[in-house]
Amino acid sequence: MSEIEKKTAELLKKNEKQIHELWKTLLIAKAKNLVEMIGLDRMKENTLEVLGQFSALLSSGTDIQMDDYRQMRKILGDLSKDLTLKNMSPSETATFIFSLKDAIVPVFQKEHKDDRLLMDYILVINRVIDQLGLYTFEVYLESRESLIREQQQAFMEVSVPVVKIWDRILMIPLVGMLDSTRTQLMMETMLTSLEDNQANVAILDISGIPVVDTLVARHLVTAASAAKLMGAECIITGIRAKISQTLVQLGVDLSGFSTCSTLADGLRMALASTEQRIG
Amino acid sequence: MKKVSDSLKINVEVMDQEDVIVVRQEIRQLMRGLGFSLMDQTRVVTAVSELARNIIVHAGQGRVEAYQVIDQHRIGISCIFTDEGPGIHDVQKALEPGFSTANSMGIGLGGAKNLCNEFDIESALGKGTKVTITEWLK
Repeated sequence: MSEIEKKTAELLKKNEKQIHELWKTLLIAKAKNLVEMIGLDRMKENTLEVLGQFSALLSSGTDIQMDDYRQMRKILGDLSKDLTLKNMSPSETATFIFSLKDAIVPVFQKEHKDDRLLMDYILVINRVIDQLGLYTFEVYLESRESLIREQQQAFMEVSVPVVKIWDRILMIPLVGMLDSTRTQLMMETMLTSLEDNQANVAILDISGIPVVDTLVARHLVTAASAAKLMGAECIITGIRAKISQTLVQLGVDLSGFSTCSTLADGLRMALASTEQRIG
Repeated sequence: MKKVSDSLKINVEVMDQEDVIVVRQEIRQLMRGLGFSLMDQTRVVTAVSELARNIIVHAGQGRVEAYQVIDQHRIGISCIFTDEGPGIHDVQKALEPGFSTANSMGIGLGGAKNLCNEFDIESALGKGTKVTITEWLK
């Protein structure tokens, strides 16, 4: 088998220039987006590099997990990562390496009329390119996943902003799903900020919470009670008509807390209770 | 009352909080499609949120189904919440405000009953619980 691989490598080396030209033409014709995204120069450079590596590596084996293939994996991995970040689809990304097959086969066919040998060569080429294609997919997926993780973390950090909107008055806009993790984070941030800013009032705005059920209500009550212990007052704003009706039917009792329908009313209430005026 | 076409149907397995969000969104969408007002949507979706969370909290996992129903001249939506959890010992008591076995407010189940037009609960100890709620389009 290694004889075949060596011969394949030789054949590849011999026709490298021709294959390279054909590959580039194919890429420009078939994967316009991809070429546009990485630029013509980089495409030329990458294709040349991959092809050069390819013929050199074939004679040492066809398992791309081998150490020899490290450089090759790096080129394709970097390319795949770049394309992920540029929002290329996985099939577009994989077109890069898979189109090499289409460039090699016609050249080999011209060179070799002997069907049996040609078959063997193409099998070798296929085996390696398929692995490289899968590798491209894997890297693509990994980069996507790490992107999602980063975004999750970034989201968690901004998920509970505490804004000082007036002297001794804080505002905490709550958005989305209020689960226990975020409630915990919200409580901690709110209580620390109350202390740091010497604030007396915290306005919790729930306009951005789509469904206010008993769990959300319980979290709000807990946060408000904790603030109360510190001598601060919690005003819950953003209770729209539909939420108000729902809460009453649900039997949630928020009568122990100051509530308002709009943030503006909440601010007015907060100014009054801290005996301040605007202007 | 009878079920209508399978085209408008939701069938979701709930296993964690994320699934509750999915169920809420899908039911809201179904209701919006049927022409329910925003107020009705909010009430029912809140009840759905309570009941779906009950499945997670008490049974660990279960299933939520929803479909359009027709009764003579009116149309509505029915949602069924089934689980194979421990069941409820005393259903009447569980519906009373303040009764909780899970360290919560204890108003979710009774609240859900108040939030929709029809509410039906069947529960057998050790076998599981099935809650059906129905809301009619006015």
